[in-house]
Amino acid sequence: MRSWDSMEDFEAFLDGGGLVEPDDDMPDAYRQAVFRFIELHANSEYMGGLTERDWIAKAPGLTNKLKALAKTQDEIGHAHLLYMVAADMGVKTRDEMTADLLAGRTTFHNVFHYRACSWGDQIAIAYLVDAAALASQQAVFKNCSYGPYKRILRRIIAEEGFHMRNGEELLLKMAKGTAQQHAMMQESLDRWWWPAVQLFGPDSPPDDVLLRWHIKSERNEVLRDRFVQKMVPQLQAAGFTIPDSDLRQDPDTGRWVSGQIDWDALKAAIAGRGPDSERRLRDARNAWDGASWVRGALDEAAAVPA
Amino acid sequence: MKTYEVFLKRAGKDPFTHAGALEAPDDDLALSFARDCYARRSEGEQMWVVAREDLLVADPTELEMADRAHRHNDGAFLRDLRQAGSSEPA
Repeated sequence: MRSWDSMEDFEAFLDGGGLVEPDDDMPDAYRQAVFRFIELHANSEYMGGLTERDWIAKAPGLTNKLKALAKTQDEIGHAHLLYMVAADMGVKTRDEMTADLLAGRTTFHNVFHYRACSWGDQIAIAYLVDAAALASQQAVFKNCSYGPYKRILRRIIAEEGFHMRNGEELLLKMAKGTAQQHAMMQESLDRWWWPAVQLFGPDSPPDDVLLRWHIKSERNEVLRDRFVQKMVPQLQAAGFTIPDSDLRQDPDTGRWVSGQIDWDALKAAIAGRGPDSERRLRDARNAWDGASWVRGALDEAAAVPA
Repeated sequence: MKTYEVFLKRAGKDPFTHAGALEAPDDDLALSFARDCYARRSEGEQMWVVAREDLLVADPTELEMADRAHRHNDGAFLRDLRQAGSSEPA
């Protein structure tokens, strides 16, 4: 177990590229901040996995059903891995984290507070939301100071890459499809563009401890801008429009500049007042209660002597 | 529930590496959960799963070996010698 005499020593260790391990005597503020960050990530993977599950039966065609099944396994799998890493930090047990999530005491990402209404929505989520989530995770992975999180992010990022490529493939199929498919896809992009842009969060505060302690490696506004620069030309090339009437291209730099971003929508969603927050949480509680017989059977199995 | 640690070995010369942890009620389910959590896309051709309580964990302070400098040779003596352009020790 390593320990540090002062926060200055600890921060010097982090600045030098040091990796913190669970047994280390890390400053409590760091432990709490990293734990909250991982718990939010775990909750989001879990809630995302539950939405994905709804589309196993509804996805058009066997191939898409199999892909939805694989993605559901991935997202729930990510939640498993992240909850283990979080639980090993000794702040809360996994059961406490589950109870807090289902009671609405902890949060999950804004994008999982909206309803996925159509197959087009599922594609927009895979294309926009997975790309936004992947960009954030890559920025964390690059310079992450907490060893177990960094190591598990490597696996998560590899799998999110499959999802994003699936999303792009499906988006381009819709782009080349019938007028009806094109219209459906545009409608879904109109619904999901802003939540995906908002996922990056408002501009990072100047004293953001997540940056100082090498959890995040880039400011929110930098990641958000990079996302806009990448997505706008891709969507336009596929024949779609961006639902931002103030979006403009800087004539000098050629960079895309977004219109006003509605941060109140982000705050409301994360606080559980999004358009689909209530149903999502109810659905998660039902899933948890519906699987109680499985947990009961596992407990009985554990109680039987080998 | 018990906590298990999962190790994977990819094909080729790579050694086993720690993949992560999981919770399971018994050894059989631990193996099954480990496959589901860590090896869905042939990430390993071999897998070890071990209960965390069965791992023997060394005290890190006993691994530091700070007072065993004689086991290393950092090359400083030879470097200084060559820089001085002499083959005789100073």
